Amino acid sequence: MGSSRGQRLSGMQKQVLSLYRGFLRASRSKSEEERRKIETVVSEEFRRNSKEVDRNNFVYIEYLLRRGNKQLDQLRNPGTTGLSSLRIDFSNINTGSSSHS
Amino acid sequence: MAARRSGLPLMKYLRVQVDSLPLNYQSPLRLFPNPFLRRFSDEVRGTFLDKSEVTDRVISCVKSFQKVDPSKVTPSANFQSDLGLDSLDAVEVVMALEEEFGFEIPDNEADKINSINVAVDFIASHPQAK
Repeated sequence: MGSSRGQRLSGMQKQVLSLYRGFLRASRSKSEEERRKIETVVSEEFRRNSKEVDRNNFVYIEYLLRRGNKQLDQLRNPGTTGLSSLRIDFSNINTGSSSHS
Repeated sequence: MAARRSGLPLMKYLRVQVDSLPLNYQSPLRLFPNPFLRRFSDEVRGTFLDKSEVTDRVISCVKSFQKVDPSKVTPSANFQSDLGLDSLDAVEVVMALEEEFGFEIPDNEADKINSINVAVDFIASHPQAK
């Protein structure tokens, strides 16, 4: 996603941006401080992946999109009040981010 | 077409008796104007904002964005080449504009907003912008 200078976005980039938009929209329905937390966690996650994931690794990006959409569905649920993230560092293998009610 | 093929005498039921209204006919709505109905229709139609006002509000909104150098914000600034924002930042800016003007920008439109100019044009031509 780093080199989208010409503003010609691929379908996958559009999906990523739309997912990001969805998260920011969903966070509006939460309390003010949770909202700020959600925005920080989500934007960190997107930025980290935009740097670390190879832009041609479609399979992995598709997996991230699917996972993100599932998490977004959970976040949209009014019962979900917040989102917390967990980052485990096993010598350069970064995983994790989970949402809870 | 489908109706004709199935042989239904559909046209027969669609025939409506039309009488011209008498010349002195007055609509009942004219006798009892409903103020709520009028207000509602105005609300739905919305109003267009003045372009210079939109420009000012968009610029102050973008200036308050953390990653932006306020001195670089001009009415013709491009998000990426002039302000150094990536596509994720652009999404955040457009979301902030949504909140500033109180309406939702659909995804396909939001993807096109890549400069202050485009944002102002879009918002000024949108009746729901407040």
